[in-house]
Amino acid sequence: MPINESAILKSELRWAIVVGGIVAVILIAILYAALAMHINPPSNREYVDPKTLHLSAEFTEANLGTRVDPNGQIVARVIATQFEFVPNCIVLPAERDVTLRFTSPDVIHGILVSGTNVNTMIVPGYVAQVHTRFTKTGDLLMPCHEFCGLGHSQMLATVRVVPPEAFRPKPDGRIACGNPR
Amino acid sequence: MVEPPYPESAHDYAGDSEELERLEAAMDETPRGALVVSAIAVGLLLVGWLGLYFLVFLPRGPVG
Amino acid sequence: MATLARPASAATPGRTEAAGLQTSRLVQAHIWVAIAAFGIACLLGVWQMWARSPLTAPYHTAANYFRSVTLHGVSMAYVLTTFFIMGFGYYVAETALRRPLPGITWAWAAFCMGIVGTLMAALSVISGNASVLFTFYPPLTATPWFYIGLVLVVVGSWIWCLLMIFAMRSWKAANPGQPVPLAMFGTVANAVMWLWTTVGVAAELLFQVIPAAFGWTQMVDVGLSRTLFSWTLHAIVYFWLFPSYIAFYTMFPRAAGGRLFSDTLGRLAFILFLLYSLPVGLHHLFMDPEHSNGFKFLQMFLTALVSVPTLLTIFTITASAEIAGRMRGGKGLFGWIGALPWDRPMVLATGLAFLMLFWGGGGGLINMSYGMNAMIHNTSWVTAHFHLIFGGTVVIMYQAICYSIWPSMTGRHWVDLKPLRLQLWLWFIGMMVMTLPWHWLGLQGQWRRVAAFDYSNPIIHSWGPWVIVSLIGGIILAVSALLFLYNLASLYRRGVTGSPAAIEYARAVHEPDRVPASLNGFGLWNILVALLMLLAYGWPIAQFFVYPPPEAMVHRLG
Repeated sequence: MPINESAILKSELRWAIVVGGIVAVILIAILYAALAMHINPPSNREYVDPKTLHLSAEFTEANLGTRVDPNGQIVARVIATQFEFVPNCIVLPAERDVTLRFTSPDVIHGILVSGTNVNTMIVPGYVAQVHTRFTKTGDLLMPCHEFCGLGHSQMLATVRVVPPEAFRPKPDGRIACGNPR
Repeated sequence: MVEPPYPESAHDYAGDSEELERLEAAMDETPRGALVVSAIAVGLLLVGWLGLYFLVFLPRGPVG
Repeated sequence: MATLARPASAATPGRTEAAGLQTSRLVQAHIWVAIAAFGIACLLGVWQMWARSPLTAPYHTAANYFRSVTLHGVSMAYVLTTFFIMGFGYYVAETALRRPLPGITWAWAAFCMGIVGTLMAALSVISGNASVLFTFYPPLTATPWFYIGLVLVVVGSWIWCLLMIFAMRSWKAANPGQPVPLAMFGTVANAVMWLWTTVGVAAELLFQVIPAAFGWTQMVDVGLSRTLFSWTLHAIVYFWLFPSYIAFYTMFPRAAGGRLFSDTLGRLAFILFLLYSLPVGLHHLFMDPEHSNGFKFLQMFLTALVSVPTLLTIFTITASAEIAGRMRGGKGLFGWIGALPWDRPMVLATGLAFLMLFWGGGGGLINMSYGMNAMIHNTSWVTAHFHLIFGGTVVIMYQAICYSIWPSMTGRHWVDLKPLRLQLWLWFIGMMVMTLPWHWLGLQGQWRRVAAFDYSNPIIHSWGPWVIVSLIGGIILAVSALLFLYNLASLYRRGVTGSPAAIEYARAVHEPDRVPASLNGFGLWNILVALLMLLAYGWPIAQFFVYPPPEAMVHRLG
């Protein structure tokens, strides 16, 4: 066969360089987002015992929902359980740094907030935490997006994102939805 | 017993000089076309990826 | 119709039992089981989409929906694939190595084990005691018989792996220094990869899930079980894909009337799949709290590397198509495309598979992009991605492979390729119509795995029309699936009888006389896989033992 293989392999190599360049562009963009804009996956690795959640300081029922901590940090705490979110509506301001903290006393759940990058699995044994800054206002959907049992489809909460000036917590720092929707 | 169906016939489709000539002629041009076509394909993939990155992902705000 | 519809010149009247292939019955038995599971799963899939649409579906309850989704996933992901891959592997072992399959009794034993396992799993799901989806994430736990059934299927596939490795070894012993035919090299690469792949899920099932399902343990480390499952979850997709790639490299160039551009690149691509499909599974857990960003980033990087063999394949196969097109008189930069014999099912299917790979792979690039995964994780975007890769590229190539090998199974030639082409086109159109809206809906936040949507909500209401469009795509797919079954069944009764030779594999432009030992076996590569897995999964698994997290209560169904 007069066609030599090294010419073929050379053209494959040339193609591999093109491929390498494209992969490199994507990796650089991801790195930029991670390092310059702090967009990372939620990797909190904070343990909490699912059997004694109701006794824990943080996830007792009275402490759930949105609260402005004394240091000014805005934190929403939500329990995902078969088959509801507690609470099923949270209020948060747009254009401010906010933190969402979730955990589960039973099985695996997960949430996303529609139209945003907020997304995390909620694994029993861990506190799932997402820092974000909402860029638009309105009632956003926050469904459970991981199969958690036959009632999974009913697990749907609301994130009410209000303009910063309309975000007025009570003196104890708490703020709730009032009547949902 | 059935006789196995896989003897000589394996190498029947090339080998004659006419086919080799056509192959050599084809190899004169190949892989220019393939390079262009696959470059267009992955170029479109990259454009699509960057489009989603800049137009959807970044505007949706930071998370972490 | 060079490869498929040969004139019946060598007609041997009365001989309809295969082309004398020793494995004929074995291959047909496997593939018919695969196709039966596929047909059922397609019909269930249509009903599921109907149930999720604004239209009213019959029998629509949450219990029925999740039963259906579980059966759909298990049938497609475990039964169709495993049985098809095993059957095709036996076929390749006999036809590419041109010698009888050693240990055919073991192959039948593995088949029977797979059948028993499949029935156990299927009955468990139908009874309603195993609605845990095919990913069965604990602490939700099904009846133990569901998992034991799946284990039997996997153990049967392990026997297949050993038979494939043994067949290659004994061929090499009989042909010292000869390059293993590429089709068999790819098949054994898949067998070796599958042995590695199943370690994760086997450990999860044997040490965590089955003891929990029997009630022997009451608590389970959920993070560990998800991590072990992720070990399997990505490489399993390459297990499914391998036959498609084997067809791209060794069947398509022949069907197109040309040559494979590079045999070496084929070997290299198969080896890269073996290396890089495994240490990447953590990209399924980007949104999980139990792993650090460091390991997520590392596995994202390795995932970027696994796109390389696919991108190399796209080029090599396109170049092979260019050779064929030019040999058929195609001129210029693009003229060779039109000169290809698109009327042949294998050529048409490869073209359509590449188009679906384009969309599915593009979606996959977004999924693997670390922080960007948050934009679409667990939305319909992901469902669209894997339906395009699996339902698209994988399944349409399985269909084309069936069309290519069926004459040597039935002893009859296709008389009319039109119904075959129609079926492939319908499959492609259906898949595109179904999945393109899913991408859009996924970006809007439509989430996965729900039995029904509340269309009275204004955001969800606006999704309704797109859901109906995708339902139409699903109906087209179901029609195509039924036509596929009909086409294969019809070749037993219609078609020109003859004695079709077993398929002949493509030759490369440069046929290797000898190849380096590293491109002719897997010994060295296994060591590299072990090292990569240690790097990628060593600490992510060890952390659960070094810093044990609180465990979760087991939740048993039924």
